[in-house]
Amino acid sequence: MARITLNGLSKTWGDVVAVDDISLEIADGEFVAILGPSGCGKSTTLFMLAGVYMPTSGDILFDGARVNDVEARMRNVGIVFQSYALYPNMSVLKNILFPTRFQKLDNAEAKAHDMAALVQVDGLLDRRPSELSGGQQQRVALARALIKEPNLLLLDEPLSNLDATLRLNMRAEIRRLTRELGVTTILVTHDQIEATTMADRIVCMNAGRIEQVGTAHDLYARPSTRFVAGFIGSPPINFIDARAPGITAPDGADVIGIRPEALHASESGIPASVLHVEPMGRESLITCATDLGELKMLEPTPTSRFRDGDRLALQFKSEDVIAFDGDQKLMEGPITWQAADA
Amino acid sequence: MALVSRQTTNALVFLGPAIVFIVCLLIVPIIVDLVVAFTDMNQTVRVGEFTTAQFQKLARPSEDSWWGYELRGSFYRALSLSAIYIFFTLAFFNVGFALVLALTTTALPDWLGGLYRAVWLLPRMSPSVVYGLLWLWTVDPTERGLLNQIISVAGFEPINMKLDAPLTLIVFANGFIGASLGMLILTSAIRSIPQHLFHAARADGAGSLSILRHIVLPALRWPLSYITVFQTLALLVSFEYIFLIMGPARQTMTMSMLAYTKTLAPDIGSGQYAYGAAITLILIVIGMAVAMVLWRLTNMQRLLARPRIEVQ
Amino acid sequence: MAQAPDWDALARRSRRGRLLKSTLLIVFLTLVSIPVLLPFFWMLVIALSARTGGVESDVLWRACAVLVPGTLAYVALHLALPRHRLLSALVCSGAIVLGLWVLVGDELHLRNFRFLITPNLIEEIRGAATAGGQFPWVWEAFVNSFLVALSSTFLKVTVATLAGYYISRFTFRGRSAFLQGLLLIEVFHPWMLAIPIFLVIFWIGLLNTLAGPILVLTAIQLPFFIFIMKGFFDAVPWDIEMSAMTDGASRREAFWYVVLPQVVPGLIAITVLGFIQGWEEYVFVTALRTGNSYWVMSTYLYYVAEDVMGVDYGLVAAVSVFYIIPSLALYLFCQRYLTQMTFGGIKG
Repeated sequence: MARITLNGLSKTWGDVVAVDDISLEIADGEFVAILGPSGCGKSTTLFMLAGVYMPTSGDILFDGARVNDVEARMRNVGIVFQSYALYPNMSVLKNILFPTRFQKLDNAEAKAHDMAALVQVDGLLDRRPSELSGGQQQRVALARALIKEPNLLLLDEPLSNLDATLRLNMRAEIRRLTRELGVTTILVTHDQIEATTMADRIVCMNAGRIEQVGTAHDLYARPSTRFVAGFIGSPPINFIDARAPGITAPDGADVIGIRPEALHASESGIPASVLHVEPMGRESLITCATDLGELKMLEPTPTSRFRDGDRLALQFKSEDVIAFDGDQKLMEGPITWQAADA
Repeated sequence: MALVSRQTTNALVFLGPAIVFIVCLLIVPIIVDLVVAFTDMNQTVRVGEFTTAQFQKLARPSEDSWWGYELRGSFYRALSLSAIYIFFTLAFFNVGFALVLALTTTALPDWLGGLYRAVWLLPRMSPSVVYGLLWLWTVDPTERGLLNQIISVAGFEPINMKLDAPLTLIVFANGFIGASLGMLILTSAIRSIPQHLFHAARADGAGSLSILRHIVLPALRWPLSYITVFQTLALLVSFEYIFLIMGPARQTMTMSMLAYTKTLAPDIGSGQYAYGAAITLILIVIGMAVAMVLWRLTNMQRLLARPRIEVQ
Repeated sequence: MAQAPDWDALARRSRRGRLLKSTLLIVFLTLVSIPVLLPFFWMLVIALSARTGGVESDVLWRACAVLVPGTLAYVALHLALPRHRLLSALVCSGAIVLGLWVLVGDELHLRNFRFLITPNLIEEIRGAATAGGQFPWVWEAFVNSFLVALSSTFLKVTVATLAGYYISRFTFRGRSAFLQGLLLIEVFHPWMLAIPIFLVIFWIGLLNTLAGPILVLTAIQLPFFIFIMKGFFDAVPWDIEMSAMTDGASRREAFWYVVLPQVVPGLIAITVLGFIQGWEEYVFVTALRTGNSYWVMSTYLYYVAEDVMGVDYGLVAAVSVFYIIPSLALYLFCQRYLTQMTFGGIKG
């Protein structure tokens, strides 16, 4: 196992900057998720860690030693790809055994069988990858990545090709396996549920830079930038101009953010009219038109009291609202709303 | 009704011209050949009588042989020369070296690999007469020949490849051209291997040679067999460079050269059309057999995938 | 892992391995490419430096003494400073030009190319009475070759595109039989059928004309080109054709306005291949006796080299250079399109 350090890491393709000067410390045995929209540089970071891409500048350290120049095959890193990348010409067993060809391992065959049992594919060892379902291929890819007891396990959007139920099972499965083996794991994903449910810590990336590092709760409750506030949370946060009439915000605030669940209908408050109501199962999402712009409110009932066109007043608690300054950074200070003088 | 007539005009507009060309200049010649091979047609281009005389020039009945016939000397010679020439050109260049070129150039950065591939395509893109001349100047037996200039530096006596090693010469001349087609097909096959497989293999600890053995070569199985079969046929019927470099020399009189020199070759062709047609017929039969093999190597499912718009 | 690996040692090993691998590859590829390039360079040197009949091997080696280190330096610079490619290209080509100027500049001349402006060069050299007296000006052959290449290319590209589209995109009875038949025909290499094609052309009465080779060249490459175009059409997404049709286009309009623009790379590829093929044609031009009445570039060069000027290496090389330039230019400009072709649906 290893402690991973990224030091001012950058990667450029010609003029395109994929990863821009990121630094990060990952503890031994930790499970970290890199979360961000597609094209934010998260997969590029992953491939640099694997040794498939060479960093343009900056360092990658394993246990404090620089490994930039160490080839992928010597890094002892396991990867699971989005497409699983199983070798089409080999059986499941051969796929799992493939990494053991290149390092001395006593009774590799027995180990492969153990691994297969661990990921529950021990009945499929003679099949070809093309004869497996997506979930089975995924398990085989995991076994192949883990058989050599890697320093670091890298997961590149491993669940995005699975259907919803399977995804739920595999999330728990992967979490269990990595805990059991105590391997340092980095998960790359664009799915916030995946990141928040599996990882100890989340690294939120955008446009090649790290926006915030923290626990799921940190990112949700105290997003350090406007991007994180907008990216985390579903349905997404409402942004309102901090200088809108009636809003009292700290000096220098540019926008304020109110989560849909922080809004509630009240006797008095921001005058609003219902645009449409979306039942979401356990809750209802109500989109309202107000003087401050369109606001989304989450009502904790399966069926809503409101119909399209109804008028209501919206209210929020001051401590549930966050403000961002002109640089899109989080600000401290109370935020309130008061009806403008009639 | 309207639909049917639109279908007919569509077929006529889109497919008609191609069918006219293919039938008139490919199908009809095959049938013509079938007929002429059994006649006595010569320089006058008239058919006197139907006969199997042409095939008797190739083989005669014999009691000793297991199949009842014995090949005539010149035909036997042409057949074995063809076999030697095809085997070595194929093994060394059209398949062997094509594979080496595809593997090595794809292992380099793209701009550099592309540069080397462009160099190897140069002979194929050059007019054949120029290419033939280049070889003649290269192997010129005097000290002016490029080859002799080079080996004289190493202290060897000038050599005369045209006289002493004619087969080697035509193997090299055809191979320098032949390697490029295989190189292109294999390069695109290597490129179509998903990048993830390479990344996965490297992360799994595989070195270049293991990746070659476990990832690349398994993916090249079909393209390699396709190239082998297709190029065998192409070499069997090729005579242009042999003729341009060697002329009608006996040492390089392969089967297709034999047919060409007996009929159409400028100045020396003797117009024995029926004899040429008989040899061509043998080539056509071999071609049919090769086509059957190629069928098996073709992804029929993809080739015949049904169109998804039914409107005409 | 039982103990922490020695990362520094592994890094050293990796660096060494990478360097060794790319060096070996480059050295190997350069060595095997020299035999391909050198004859072409030799031809150029002869054309530019030979004086009446002599061959200047000296010039070749002096030029190589400049070019080889120059090219190596360029590759080294290119690898060492990947960010300054233009600069290293300029520096190296400047150095090469300067080196060539100093070492071989005096030897170079354009006298061997005088055939381009002298209509009756052979007469001038040999006298009007000889066989060479009927030898034409090179431009006549040039125009004929151009005509053959251009018209056969036009026919091939048009016919193959129409047919490729139809078999890729239309359902019709006998489609699979037609495709399988085409696959069978494809293996018939043109030269294989030279004799029966000669007979057919003879009976049609097109021997001794330019039309003969034009038609034959069109037919023999057709199956191959149809498959190339089918491959390109197959790759066009059905969605865009469907949406063109729901937008009100007929299938023919959809073909012309929406699908055809998607396969331009394919059109360029087969145009280049078709032109080069027509430009270089030798076998059918002679076999169909076109050469009796019309000179084309291949027969022109053949007779310059064989019969008329056999010993005047400079002139023969100059004609070769002149002949190869259109093919080469076309190839170099369109090279990237040629590598995009798919080849007849080989199993993957």
